[in-house]
Amino acid sequence: MAEQYYDLDTRTWLEEHGDYLFSYALLSVRNTHVAEDLVQETLLAAITAKNTFRNQSTIRTWLTGILKHKLIDYFRSRGREIIMADLVDQAYEDYLDGFFRTNGLWIDKPDIFSNPELAFQQKEFWKIFQQCLAELKPKQVEVFLAKEIHGMSNEEICKSFSLNSTNVWVLMHRARLSLIKCLKIHWLD
Amino acid sequence: MLNCKQASQLTSRAMDEKLPFWQNISLRMHLFLCRSCNNFTQQLNFLREASRRSRSNLGFQLTEEARQRIANALKDIQNG
Repeated sequence: MAEQYYDLDTRTWLEEHGDYLFSYALLSVRNTHVAEDLVQETLLAAITAKNTFRNQSTIRTWLTGILKHKLIDYFRSRGREIIMADLVDQAYEDYLDGFFRTNGLWIDKPDIFSNPELAFQQKEFWKIFQQCLAELKPKQVEVFLAKEIHGMSNEEICKSFSLNSTNVWVLMHRARLSLIKCLKIHWLD
Repeated sequence: MLNCKQASQLTSRAMDEKLPFWQNISLRMHLFLCRSCNNFTQQLNFLREASRRSRSNLGFQLTEEARQRIANALKDIQNG
């Protein structure tokens, strides 16, 4: 049986994985320059540490792992700069007033999103999904992606973003309500 | 009894962590009776699945300029 071959020629890494790493970073940081720098730092770290690569994972998975650490460092370094601007700029309760009546009932009753598979197969859906993410407040989208794409736990998120657990619930709840509303408007209607 | 606003907060929280016992019970009771909030739960699952898949469906490309800059930065340590 042929052993799987991995290309440890680091010269090909930028060509083969650069765009992937860039997309991954950009989804989280929303700033092209920061994302480019993160790709560069990731590749530099990877090349320096290439002897630690073990064939249990693919090069891409391994590189992505390094990028994740870089992202966490980046969020941590910025955590203190953010004085909860996203929470303050429109109070949570006011925000919820856009979705619920004073008696707590839905203003717009949620419907089922039918046939998710069909949506996922369409390029147009992903364009809209990306647009809807872009419309979120920066902090909301960072926390949302950390949770839903990078699979970080609540504890990791609290630490990386200098948030308490209530902040995380609020950010996630707001991000989810906004995304659903946006998808409903642009995809379903 | 929870109203839908409170239930939606708990539903979102329950996606990320285990709810305390009584909050979980009251959420279950609400969901048992409320179709809208059941639909909301389904919407959240849809969102989670979409996010999971978005990794392979959102493609951005490095600009040629950025690619060149990174390539230059890597060159030294590759040759070293």
